[in-house]
Amino acid sequence: MTEKTKKGLARVEEIYEDRSKRAIELKEQGKKIIGYLCIYPVIEMLTALDMVPFRIFGDIKEPITKADACLPTVVCPFLRSSLDLGLKGRYNFLEGTVMSHACEVCEKTAHIWKTYIEQKYTFFIDVPHTVHEAAQEHLKGLLEDFRKTLEAFTGKDLSNDKLTKAIKLHNEQRKLVREIYELRKPNPPLISGVETIKLIKSLMSVPVEEGNDILKDVLAELKNRKNAPQKKSIRLLLWGSIIDDASLIEIIENADANLVMDDTCVGTRPYFDDVKLTADPLEGLAYHYLVDIKCPRTFRESEYGETSKNYMKDLSSRFSYLSDYARDWKVDGIILHSLRFCDIHGYEVPAIRDFLDSKGIKSIYLEPDYTESALGPLRTRIEAFIETLG
Amino acid sequence: MADEKKKKAISRPKAMYPLRARIDEVYQNSIKAVQAGKPTGWCMVNWWEADPIIMAMGIEAVYPENYGAVCAAKGVAQKYLERSDSEGFPSHMCGYARNTIGYTARMNDLGRIPEEAPMGGMPKPLFLLGSGALCDTRFKWFQALGRYLDVPMWTVEMPQPGVREEMMPGAHDRNIKFMVKELRGFIGFLERLFGKKLDWAKLEEISNDIIEMNRIWHETNELRKARPSPMHSRDFWTCMTGCLYPAGDLKVLIKLYNDLYIELKERVDKKIGAIENEKYRMTFAELPPWHSLNIFDTLAERGWNFVVESWAYHPPKPIDLSKVSDPLERIARFTYQWLSGYYQNAMKAKEWWGFFAYPYMDFVKDYQCDGALLHPLITCRTATNHLYLIQDRLMQTMKVPSMIAEGDIVDLKLFDAVDVLRRAETFEESMDHYKEIRRKEGFEW
Amino acid sequence: MTKSVIIDEEEGICSTVTGPTGAEHRHLANSVIEQAIRDADLSLDQIGYCVATGYGRMNVPFADSQITELTCHARGVAKLFPNARTAIDIGGQDAKGLKIQDGRLKDFVMNDKCAAGTGRFLEVLAETIGLNVKDLGDISLKSKKRIRISSICTIFAEQEIRAQISEGAAIEDIIAGLHESIAGRVVRMIKRLKIEPDVVITGGVAKNSGVIKALREHIGYDIFVPENPLLSGAYGAALLGREIYNKETSEKRDIRRGISLKEGVTFFK
Repeated sequence: MTEKTKKGLARVEEIYEDRSKRAIELKEQGKKIIGYLCIYPVIEMLTALDMVPFRIFGDIKEPITKADACLPTVVCPFLRSSLDLGLKGRYNFLEGTVMSHACEVCEKTAHIWKTYIEQKYTFFIDVPHTVHEAAQEHLKGLLEDFRKTLEAFTGKDLSNDKLTKAIKLHNEQRKLVREIYELRKPNPPLISGVETIKLIKSLMSVPVEEGNDILKDVLAELKNRKNAPQKKSIRLLLWGSIIDDASLIEIIENADANLVMDDTCVGTRPYFDDVKLTADPLEGLAYHYLVDIKCPRTFRESEYGETSKNYMKDLSSRFSYLSDYARDWKVDGIILHSLRFCDIHGYEVPAIRDFLDSKGIKSIYLEPDYTESALGPLRTRIEAFIETLG
Repeated sequence: MADEKKKKAISRPKAMYPLRARIDEVYQNSIKAVQAGKPTGWCMVNWWEADPIIMAMGIEAVYPENYGAVCAAKGVAQKYLERSDSEGFPSHMCGYARNTIGYTARMNDLGRIPEEAPMGGMPKPLFLLGSGALCDTRFKWFQALGRYLDVPMWTVEMPQPGVREEMMPGAHDRNIKFMVKELRGFIGFLERLFGKKLDWAKLEEISNDIIEMNRIWHETNELRKARPSPMHSRDFWTCMTGCLYPAGDLKVLIKLYNDLYIELKERVDKKIGAIENEKYRMTFAELPPWHSLNIFDTLAERGWNFVVESWAYHPPKPIDLSKVSDPLERIARFTYQWLSGYYQNAMKAKEWWGFFAYPYMDFVKDYQCDGALLHPLITCRTATNHLYLIQDRLMQTMKVPSMIAEGDIVDLKLFDAVDVLRRAETFEESMDHYKEIRRKEGFEW
Repeated sequence: MTKSVIIDEEEGICSTVTGPTGAEHRHLANSVIEQAIRDADLSLDQIGYCVATGYGRMNVPFADSQITELTCHARGVAKLFPNARTAIDIGGQDAKGLKIQDGRLKDFVMNDKCAAGTGRFLEVLAETIGLNVKDLGDISLKSKKRIRISSICTIFAEQEIRAQISEGAAIEDIIAGLHESIAGRVVRMIKRLKIEPDVVITGGVAKNSGVIKALREHIGYDIFVPENPLLSGAYGAALLGREIYNKETSEKRDIRRGISLKEGVTFFK
C-alpha cells in the first residue's frame, strides 16, 4: 500500500523518477497492467475493463545491450531502447501489451517483442495509412477484434456504456492537460517544459483517474505558485519524434529560453483533441486515433482524392496547426527534432521548414541519436539558435 | 581470366535468355513511350494492387525505386544523394528515395531531364502513386516530392496485420473489403485526373493475365524444391522483373515463363541441378548485391546452390479466384495473398515474427536449406529490420545457421565480396556441423 | 587552442594571444587572459567586459557572459569583411556554415558528429601518410591528377589511402583527393543555407591553400581568408562584449563584475 503523501508536482517528480513503482503496487492489488507502445493503441478500451494502460518508454541513460541481437542499429533508437528494456525484464510486471503499426519499425518491434517476451495477452492494431473514410471504417473493424480479445482475456463484457464512461474519463484528462498548456501561455509560463514532460510521462504511468487527480492538484498548485519558471528572452516550441526524457528540454531551458509549447507524443499529440462521443463508441475512437492525432506516420491530403496539387495549400493543410500554436503561445522560434533513423519525421523536415519560412517563423533542425552523450553537442546548436532569435 | 573456357559453375536455363530479352525490350518500349509523351505515373512497386488498373487506363508506370538501382549502377546516384542532403533531407534515409529527391530537385532547376540521367531519365509524371505496403518511405518519399512536383498523389492501402489478428474470424474478408474500397477510390481518382473511364473489360483481361503469369512463376519456383535444385537465385532475380513490373503484352510473357517452367521440369525429371555438385542448399534475404552477383558463381564452385530467396519478390501462393466475380476483389485477394499466404503456417508453428520474417521459416523447411546468407542494407531499413530475428529463429527452430554480409542499395562499394568469400569456408564448417545436429534431432534434411 | 582578444573603445585590437588547449580549461583561460593583459599593457580593472565563447565557454570563471562560437564567429567575420554573407569555419573538432545578415548570425549548419569533414580528418590522414598537417596545402597544389577518395568515413579513408600508397600513387595526388573530399562534404552541408557571396573561411583549415582551392571549385565564388583565421571567433566575442557593455552602461546599469582570476584558480588548488 502506498501512502500518497506527496501531491501535485512533487508527486509527479516521484512518479517520473520511478514510474513502474505505482504500477507494481497496483498489480499487487490485483489490477492488470497492460503496456502500450507509441500512442496508437486505443487505451480507452483498457480503462473500460478496469485495466491500467502503461506506456512503454525507452531509457536514454541505459546503454542498449540486448536489443542488438534482434533489431539492427540502423533503426529508431527509441524503439531499440524500449525493446532492450523489455528484453532485460524491466517490463516483466506487465500482463501483456498492445502495439500497433504506428510506423514500420514499431510494427517490427511488436513482432519481436511477442517472439521473445512471454506475455499473457497481446494485440496488434494494424493502423491504416490514410485518413480516408474506408480507412476509418477499417480501423473500427480492427477495434471490434481488439474488443473481442480483451473480453476473452478478462472474461468481462466490454459494453458500449463502459467504453463511453472510459472515453469520458480520458477526455477529462485531455481537457485538464489542455488547461495545463493554457498556463504556458503567460510570460513567463507558470509551468516549465521540464515539468510538463515529467507530468505527461507520469500520466502515462498511472490509471486515468489517478492521473486526473494529479492534474487537478497540479493546476491548483500552479495557479498559486511562488517558484514559477524564470522569464527568459525567447519562447520556443518543440516539434518532432518522441522525447521521453527531460534532459533535452533541460538544455533548452538552461539556455535563455522558455519552452512553452510542443507538438510531440509525450506532449500535446494524444491530448489536444477529444474523442467524439458517438452512438457506437468505436466510431469516435477510430476517428480520433486515425484523423485527430497528427503524427507524420499518417498520409494526409488537403482534400480527399485531389487531382491537382498546390504545394503551399498542401503544406498549410498539413501544418497550419503548428503556426496556430506558434501564434497562440507567442512563440519566437521552433525546434524541429527528428530522432536519427526516424523516417516518418525525417521526410517531413524540409516541408515543415518551407511552411514555417513562409510564415516567417524561424526554426532549427536537430537530429539526436537518443543517447545522453549526444545531448552535449546539441547545446551549442540550441544556444546559437536562441542567439539568432534575440 | 585464364580459365575463360572453364564451364560456368551455374548452369543457366536456356529459356531464361528470351524471357529476359523480352523484359528488357518491354522496358525499352516503355521508356520510348514515356519519352514520346504517353501519360506517365511514378509508381511504387505495389505487388499488382494498382498495376492492372494503371495498365488498363493506358498509363505508363515508371518505378523510381528501380531507377535508383539504375542510377547506382551507372554511378550517378552519388550526385543525387548529395543534392538530397543539401536540400535538407536527413542522410540516413532510404538511398532510393534520396536518389529520386535529388534527381527531381535537379530536374526542377533545369526545367528538363538532366543530361547525366541514365536511360533517358524519368520525365515529369502526371501523378504519384505511393503504397502503404512494407515501409513508410514508400509514401513519405512521394509526399516529400511535393516540394518539386505540383502533381497529385494517391496512396494505395495494404493491410499488414499480425498473425493471430489476421486469423480472427472475419478479419481476412474485412482486409479485402478495405482494399477493394480503396481501389475504387483510386479508380475514381484516375478517372477524374485523366478525364476518361476505366475500360473494365481490359482490366479483367490484364488482371487475369497477371494472375496466370504469377501462377506459372510460382509453379516454376516450386520445382526448385527438388534435389538438386534446377534453378539458382541468380535466374530468379533475372526473371522476376516480368512478374513484379507487369508491362507490355502479357500473353507473350506468359508463354516465355511457361517455356522456362517446361525446361526446369525437364531438369528436375533428369535430376539436373543448377550447379553440378549441390553441396549446400541456401536461402538469401533480401535485395541481392546487384553489383557483385558474380560472387554467386564463386560460391557455386564451392557447391553452394541458392535455391530460394527474397520472399517479397516471390509470387503469391496460388488461391482459387475463379468464383470471385469483381475484378477488383480478385486483385485485392491476389495481392493480399502475396503478403498473408504464410500466415496459416506461422499460426500452426506458433511463430510470431510477422509477415516479413516468417516466410523464411517455410522457405528453409520446404526447400531444405542448409544455411542463409543475409544481406543487411545500410540505407534500407525494411530489408534489414528482420534479418537478425531471422538469423536467431532459424537457428532456434531448425538449427540452420546464417551468415551476415552487409551492403547497401546505392553505396555499392559497401558490399565486401572478398570478405564474404573469405568467411565462406568457416561458414561451411558451421553448416556441416548443424547438418549433423539436424540429423541427430530427426529433421528431414 | 585557447585564444584571447582584447579590443579598445574604437574596436581596435589591443592584443591577441593564442595558447594551447587541454583538460584544464580554467587554468588555460586564466593564463591566456593574463598574458593578453600583459601584452596590451593594461591592468585587470581596465577590462570593462568579458565574453567567453567556444566549447569551453562555461569554464571561463571570470567571463561576464557566454555566447556561442557561431554568433561570435559571425560577428567577427562581419567586422573583418563587411560584405560577407556566408562564412565557413573548419576547425579541428567541427565544421560550421554561417549565414550572415546585417552583421549578425542569421542561420547556421554544423557538423560535430563525425571527424570526416573537419580538420581532424586531415590530421589523422596526414599522420597516415607521415606528413605534417601544415604542409598538406602546398604539397597538394603540385597535384596534376587528384585521386578520388570515396570513403566517407575517416577510418575507411585511412585504409583507402594505405592501399593507394602501396599501389604507388603520388602523394600530392592523394592529398589533393583528401582536400577534395573534405571540401565536398563541407559544401554539401553548407548548401542547405544557400551560399551567397562574399564567402569567408576561418578556422585552422583556412590555412590550408589546397582545401581553399577545392572549396572555390565547388562553390564557384572567391573565398576570403582573414589574416589570422583562428582569431575571428575571439574577436567577435570581444566586439559583442563591447556592444553589451555600451548598451548596459548607456542604460545606466552597472554590469561590471570585474575580473577576478582567483575564482577560477581555486577550483584546482
